Amino acid sequence: MAFDDPLDRPRAAGGRAPDVFRRGGWVPMREYRDSEPVDFVIVGTGAGAGTLACRLAEQGFSVVALDAGAYFRPLEDFASDESEQTKLYWTDDRIVDGDNPLQMGSNNSGKAVGGSTVHFAMVSLRFRPEWFKSRTLLGYGADWPIDWREMWHYYAEVEDALKISGPVTYPWGTKRPRYPYRAHPLNAAARVLAKGCEAMGISWTETPLATLSAPRGLAHPCVYRGFCVTGCSTNAKQSVLVTWLPRALASGAEVRDLAMVGRIDTGSDGLATGVHYHRAGQWRFQRARNVVVAGYAIETPRLLLNSANDQFPDGIANSSGLVGKNLMVQSNQAVWGTMEDEVRSYKGPPSLAITEHWNYDDDKDFFGGYAYMSQGPLPQLWANTQLGAHGLWGEQLMTAMKDYNHVAGLKIVGETMPQERNCVTLADEVDQYGLRIPRITFSLCDNDKKLIDHSLSFMGQALSAAGARNIWAQEDDTCHLNGTARMGDDPRRSVVDADCRSWDIPNLWICDGSVFPTVGGVNPSLTIQAIACRTADRIHQMARRGELERLPAARPRRVLTPSA
Amino acid sequence: MRDPTRHKPADRYPGYDVLSKRNGPSWNDKTRRVVDQRLSIDDEPRFFAADEFALVQAVAALIAPQPAHRPMIPVAGLVDAKLHRGESDGFRAPNMPRERDAWTRGLAAIEAEARRAHGRGFCELTKSEQIDLLEKMQNGELHDAAWGEMPPQAFWKHRLSHDIVMAYYAHPTAWSEIGWGGPASPRGYVRLDFNDRDSWEAAEAGSSDGDNVRRINRGIR
Amino acid sequence: MKRQSLFLLCAGIGAGAVTLALSRRQPAPPANRIPARRDLSNTPQHSSGTVRAARRLNRAAGLLATSVLADSGVEHYRGSFKNRAMFTPLIVSGATLAISAHGTADMRPAAHRVRDVTYALAAVTGLVGTGFHFYNVGRKLGGFSWQNLFYGAPLGAPMAILLSGLIGFSSERLRESQPDEQQGPEIFDLPAGRMLAAVISVGLLGTTAEAALLHFRGAYHNPAMYLPVTLPPIGALLMAQVCVGTRTRHVAARNWMWLLVAMGFAGSGFHAYGISRNMGGFANWSQNILAGPPLPAPPSFSGLALAGLACIDLVREHPDA
Repeated sequence: MAFDDPLDRPRAAGGRAPDVFRRGGWVPMREYRDSEPVDFVIVGTGAGAGTLACRLAEQGFSVVALDAGAYFRPLEDFASDESEQTKLYWTDDRIVDGDNPLQMGSNNSGKAVGGSTVHFAMVSLRFRPEWFKSRTLLGYGADWPIDWREMWHYYAEVEDALKISGPVTYPWGTKRPRYPYRAHPLNAAARVLAKGCEAMGISWTETPLATLSAPRGLAHPCVYRGFCVTGCSTNAKQSVLVTWLPRALASGAEVRDLAMVGRIDTGSDGLATGVHYHRAGQWRFQRARNVVVAGYAIETPRLLLNSANDQFPDGIANSSGLVGKNLMVQSNQAVWGTMEDEVRSYKGPPSLAITEHWNYDDDKDFFGGYAYMSQGPLPQLWANTQLGAHGLWGEQLMTAMKDYNHVAGLKIVGETMPQERNCVTLADEVDQYGLRIPRITFSLCDNDKKLIDHSLSFMGQALSAAGARNIWAQEDDTCHLNGTARMGDDPRRSVVDADCRSWDIPNLWICDGSVFPTVGGVNPSLTIQAIACRTADRIHQMARRGELERLPAARPRRVLTPSA
Repeated sequence: MRDPTRHKPADRYPGYDVLSKRNGPSWNDKTRRVVDQRLSIDDEPRFFAADEFALVQAVAALIAPQPAHRPMIPVAGLVDAKLHRGESDGFRAPNMPRERDAWTRGLAAIEAEARRAHGRGFCELTKSEQIDLLEKMQNGELHDAAWGEMPPQAFWKHRLSHDIVMAYYAHPTAWSEIGWGGPASPRGYVRLDFNDRDSWEAAEAGSSDGDNVRRINRGIR
Repeated sequence: MKRQSLFLLCAGIGAGAVTLALSRRQPAPPANRIPARRDLSNTPQHSSGTVRAARRLNRAAGLLATSVLADSGVEHYRGSFKNRAMFTPLIVSGATLAISAHGTADMRPAAHRVRDVTYALAAVTGLVGTGFHFYNVGRKLGGFSWQNLFYGAPLGAPMAILLSGLIGFSSERLRESQPDEQQGPEIFDLPAGRMLAAVISVGLLGTTAEAALLHFRGAYHNPAMYLPVTLPPIGALLMAQVCVGTRTRHVAARNWMWLLVAMGFAGSGFHAYGISRNMGGFANWSQNILAGPPLPAPPSFSGLALAGLACIDLVREHPDA
């Protein structure tokens, strides 16, 4: 049998979708006709989209989720190889500029069913409660239109859905329920972080991770192989691909892989009517009563801008002019050093230990906060860091690389401020689908730089105290993408409301990291999923009250009728 | 402050070959397929022209110099194969051409700079002249019209050195050299603490126990 | 070096404790072989029942030792035998297993010097091992944190070899005791059956604590993981009743001990299933035997429960015991 290449032609078709838990396996999948208006067509299958697709399908809505990426079965499709696994990244053409042009691709952009969660580092942290009112309480950024107590409820739901493995007690902030699974054993790299924290007199803990420390159904527990950010081949990683999407399929949602959405249509009433998408060599149009855009903070504004029409010449959902604005990344600077001991940081998930001390300590000369974590770069990534950030090449590089097994590093996830000048716009060039490609403009502000300086100085001391030598700082890295369609209370100053519903087009929703008004100093995936769960509940409530356009009130619970 | 690596021998993981694990539980079918395919790539161009390819080989020997005592990693061939497949990083500066165009233009510019400065092609320069030219590129001190809009530093940073180093460390020989465990699925690791080596990981040579270390490393499956 | 001096210290403690244990036997001349044979001819009825109980205790001690041998073998291999003292439980439990087999086959109503010494050594090894494990966890970064309790040296594990030693040692005392019409068999001047019941009761609770900790680490992801933390404590209660109660027939306790014997062996089955659920299953044994749930651990419950059964018989035959 010829090898079935998921990048070559769609797998989710003919009434079945790949069974991610079995080699060569299939699960039944309900299918909808393009001409049949579904309750929700969702653009994307990542942290926001996949979660929402699952929750909406479980509430009985008809759901079709479209993803430009392939539908992988991790057990058979993922190699233990950095180069091969670049197939998980969004590597379509993008222009980057500004004072601090972003690295895209492998750094922050996924292209696969399951979205970036297929290659994320699984760090699953809650926001600090005050961050939801950072303008009011902390004096910077913008307030969220959502109360942290409500979010606490949804965080717990997501943590349970992903069986997050975390410490028995969390050292910082408001009390949270116990994590469903216990923390993983620390690797030596994590112990370096712990040593540093103990020496500096601050708390540390095991990082709450979306990877199993015990079996769960057909998913194997983590084997500490260390290839997490190139895709987990054991299904220990609780990505959207192996958590929300199987649930979504079982509840009657349809997932279409290798389906690139290029445009959202609106009708004369100003409501969205469906999406144009490219699949299997042709453009098609899926009719829908509601459209959800969840393509992450670059593709979401790009789609909204590319959907401009006579009625909405500046792009749809853009009466505020804020679509694509306030792009926020997180600073991802690091300090690296060499230990006398063997560290072999390639073993285990890369970030097994964390300190959130500087997220919860407000005695700083800058706004926002940062967490920092232990690191475990694989050889290509590490060589590229030595080359790009340390400037080593030739014999120097070769010699430095021989210390690979002795390297320990600490890396921040730091808050950046929302700035309107940091934005996603459309370039004149077009991609393989004929769609205008995004131009991503990013510059750090003074506050961002102060935060970075603070973190590098602190981590340098901590790493030194932990016994590392030859310490150097990596000063130019970023991670994560947020905030190009922010939520808010005021239609003039935000793109969507607290329910992720467009102010302009009431049957258009945006449900991913784009809606973040501020980004906080923690990895965003848990918050994106919590917001998706909240949005699903809000849609359910509004639908029951008949408050949704084109959706009759009190829809009956649908029963799965697979067509295969 | 003591340099922790001062006393380490040059061959840090004597006898270790990550490929000895190929048929063991650390490699799955997919990985075998992918790495086999990579190992089948030789130093023959399919994307580059012959003179371009020679230039890439010369530059690769400077950026990722290889010891003479072992088979060479076909770095230029790996770069060529990637360009032939048309893979992209997924982002570029506005004045940077896409991958293939950037390489073609950059190599032409290097050649032009060599001829302008020394009257000879890059491959005919002495090693110190070659290194000097690369350093000038890194520092933005090259201005030949052949660069066009593309900044020489950007070509160095995002294409030339980046692609060569990534190609070098995509090769199992490089993995063995730095004592990395290599592919690991279904078998991962059990011993995670400091100085905790699983029996299927490379042992590191200290100052005196070289033979014992070599014996351990040869036995890894 | 610190490690070596610690090892010497432990060895010293061990040797001292063995000497102590043996010296306590000195005032008991009937323990010598020849008088013991005489006892055999003099009081055949009592002795045969006592010897049977003693042999069953040998068997129980042997099962516990087997569990320890396999478990410490796997776990200390995982720990790369970084400290040479880590071989100790393997040697001692191996020896304990061998002499327990010998004891199980031995019908003579007399203690055996080699068995005695070995059992005492096993008990001391358990104590010293516990000390070692506490020291190891305590010195790790974070001390007695959940992380170190979960993944550091298991604090309760060496207790299994201590229990094996205690049960075996008791078995020897039982053989050499001379029960008569007024008084049942005794261990250290205490009624043998009741004293053993107490040891087993405490042992069950300790082993439960170990299972509870490690199953908490596994987040009780399978409901069956609650069995070894609920059934044994009830067994411990029933054995406590055997210890202090006035009745001689302990039907509930007997049935419960059989349940725990079965549970212990079933536990290994569950653990095998757990290993099969790890990535690569048994084909990836070089990782999964080490990383999966410990195959040999659950039968320690069976060993204790078998000792419990012997003990219940003893109490039935000698209500004063």
